Amino acid sequence: MLKSITKEDFFTRVGELSNDFEIIGPMELPLKGIFYQSILNTEDLYLGDGFAIEPIKKFFLEPSTRLLRYPWKNEPGVESFSPPERERIAIGVRPCEAKGLVLLDSVFDPPASSDLIPNSAPGAGKKSSNRAGSTYQDAFYTNNRKRTIIVGLACGRPDRCCFCTSLGVSPAGTTGMDVLLFEIEGGFAIEIITDRGKGIFGALGKELSEEEKKLLTSVNNKREDLLEKKIRVPESMDTIFTSDYWDKVSRSCISCGICTYLCPTCHCFDLIDERRIKLRCYDGCSFPHFTLHASGENPRPTKKERYRQRVFHKFDYFKINFGENLCVGCGRCIRFCPVKIDIGDIVDKAPLSKKR
Amino acid sequence: MKNIYLPHVVEIVDVQEETPDVKTFKLKFRDNVVEESFDYRPGQFVELSVFGEGEAPFCFSNSPTRRNVIECSVKRMGQVTEALHEMDTGDTVGIRGPYGNGFPLEDLKGKNLLFVAGGIGLAPLRSLINYCLDNRKDYKTLTIVNGARTSKDLMYRNEYPVWEKAKDTSLHLTVDCQEENWTCMVGVVPKVLEQIKPTCGNSVAIVCGPPIMIKFTMPTLLKLGFCEDAIITTLEMKMKCGLGQCGRCNIGHLYVCKDGPVFSYSQLKDKNFQF
Repeated sequence: MLKSITKEDFFTRVGELSNDFEIIGPMELPLKGIFYQSILNTEDLYLGDGFAIEPIKKFFLEPSTRLLRYPWKNEPGVESFSPPERERIAIGVRPCEAKGLVLLDSVFDPPASSDLIPNSAPGAGKKSSNRAGSTYQDAFYTNNRKRTIIVGLACGRPDRCCFCTSLGVSPAGTTGMDVLLFEIEGGFAIEIITDRGKGIFGALGKELSEEEKKLLTSVNNKREDLLEKKIRVPESMDTIFTSDYWDKVSRSCISCGICTYLCPTCHCFDLIDERRIKLRCYDGCSFPHFTLHASGENPRPTKKERYRQRVFHKFDYFKINFGENLCVGCGRCIRFCPVKIDIGDIVDKAPLSKKR
Repeated sequence: MKNIYLPHVVEIVDVQEETPDVKTFKLKFRDNVVEESFDYRPGQFVELSVFGEGEAPFCFSNSPTRRNVIECSVKRMGQVTEALHEMDTGDTVGIRGPYGNGFPLEDLKGKNLLFVAGGIGLAPLRSLINYCLDNRKDYKTLTIVNGARTSKDLMYRNEYPVWEKAKDTSLHLTVDCQEENWTCMVGVVPKVLEQIKPTCGNSVAIVCGPPIMIKFTMPTLLKLGFCEDAIITTLEMKMKCGLGQCGRCNIGHLYVCKDGPVFSYSQLKDKNFQF
C-alpha cells in the first residue's frame, strides 16, 4: 500500500506517536555528525540523504547490556535485570541496517528449542543434524526487537563506499521494515509493509496519483544505478584459507576494531563482571585478546589470522550456517577505517583460483 | 523469556588438591529442583562464575552415573581460576549449562577404548572412564595412557588403584623425565604410545591434553593404524558465552562451544584446522 503524505503531516503524526512510544531516529549533532538518538523533539529528526555514523544495531545489541546483578558475598540469589518494556519506533532506518537486524535475528533469536540440554551428541565424525548456530534465544535482544517498530527510509544518495546491491540489498529494500518512506516532492511516499506499520501510519496520507506513482517507480528503478561500488562475492572462500593474501591485506590494520563496532551485522561480544554486575559488551575479532587463552595460547596470534577470521565469518562461515553473507554493504567499515582497508575490495580481489 | 545468562547458585562442598596448581571443586546445587533436573553427559561443560570476577568454561570431571555433586577440576591460570583457588567450602559460585555435545557415547559402544591424557586433560576423560566402568558391559577393553610433566602433576591419583584393578582395563602412567623412586614409564605421551602399541582393531582413541601433545599424538595414532574417524579429541578454546553467540571459539564454521568441544580428527582435518 503506497500513499503520499506531506512532511508537516508526517512530523505531526510522529509528535502524536511520541506520547505512546519512544522515538528513535537520526539526529545531526553539531561538530559530530549524524547519530541515532532517542528523539525528544520531532524537529530534531534528520531525514535527509546523510547516513548515521553508527548503525541502528546499537539499540538492539547495545554496546553494553546489563545482564545480572550478583549478591553480596554468600548472600543467596543472583538477580536478572529485566529488559525494558517501553515500545519504540525507529525512524529513518536504512534498508541495509534493517537487513542487518534480520541477520542478527538468526544468531540471537533462533527458533525456540524445547529441550534444556542443547543438543544430543552428534557423534564424532558425523555431521551434526542440529540447526546451525545458536539454539538459545537471548531475552534482551529479542525484547528489543519485539518492542520496536521499524520505519525505514529509502536511500537517495548512496556514497562511494556503499555496495549494498552486491549483497542482495536494495537502496529501497523492505526486508526487516514495518514501513518504508521514500522522499518525494513536498513530503514522503509511504509504503506500509506490516500490520504493525499499518497500526501507526495506516490512517495517514492520500493515495498516490498515477503520475506520482510513475515518477516514484522511475526514481526507484534508478536507485540501484546510483551505486558506483560493485563487488563480486564468491560462493565460498575455502580454497584461500592458507593463502598469503591475508598477510598482505591485513598488514596495514592497526587492530582498532572500529570496523566491528560500526558494522550493522558484527555481533561478537565479551562478558564482563564489573563488581556486582555482569555486562555484555561489544568485542571484536581484530583485538589480540579476543581469542587469547588464560594459558597464553592464542589460536589467532597475528593480524593475518584475525583479519581472515573477520572476512571468513562474513563471507564463508555464516553462509555455511545460515545461507547468507554476514555483510549488508553499508560501507561503514570502509568509510571510517583509519588506514583505508576496504573489505569490499579485499573480497572482490581474493585470488580464489590459488589453491591452498 | 528466560535470561540465558542466569546461573544456578552452587555451594562448594569440598576442595581436593590434585597437584600443586590444580584443585577439584565439588559443587552442590542450592536448589533441590535444579539438582534433580540437571543432567549432563561426559565431555560437556559448564560456565562457572565467580561473582564479580568473571566466568570460564570447565568440563565435568566426574561421571553422571555417580553424581551427588558436580565436580570441576581447575588449574590456576587466569583471573577466574585465581579467584576460585582462593575459595573454600561453604562459598558459593554460579554455574550455567551443560553446554556442548559431549562424547558420542552410543558410537563408542562395543569398542576397545584408548584414553590418551596429558596433564589436566585427564579431567574430561575421567568422567568418560568412570562412565564406561559403570556401564562396563557396553565397552570392551579400556586402555588409559596418562602423562604429566612430573609425578607431582598427575591428576586423580586415588582413582589409579581402582582403574588398575578393573576388568579388562590397563593404566599406563608416564612422566616427561626420569625421577627418583618413579617406577612407571618415562617419556612424552606419543613415545609411550609407540612402546605400548595399543590395538587399533575395533578401537577408538580419545585424546585430551595440551595443544602440543595433541599435535604430536595424532600422527602417532595414525601410524599405529587408527583411522581418522576413530580418533576423537575434546578441545580447549576461549569461550565466553557457551551458547554459540559470542563468536570467538569457532573452527571454520563450527563453534567449539556448541558443535564441540568433542571433535573427530577427520572433522578437524576437513576444516583444515581453520582456527
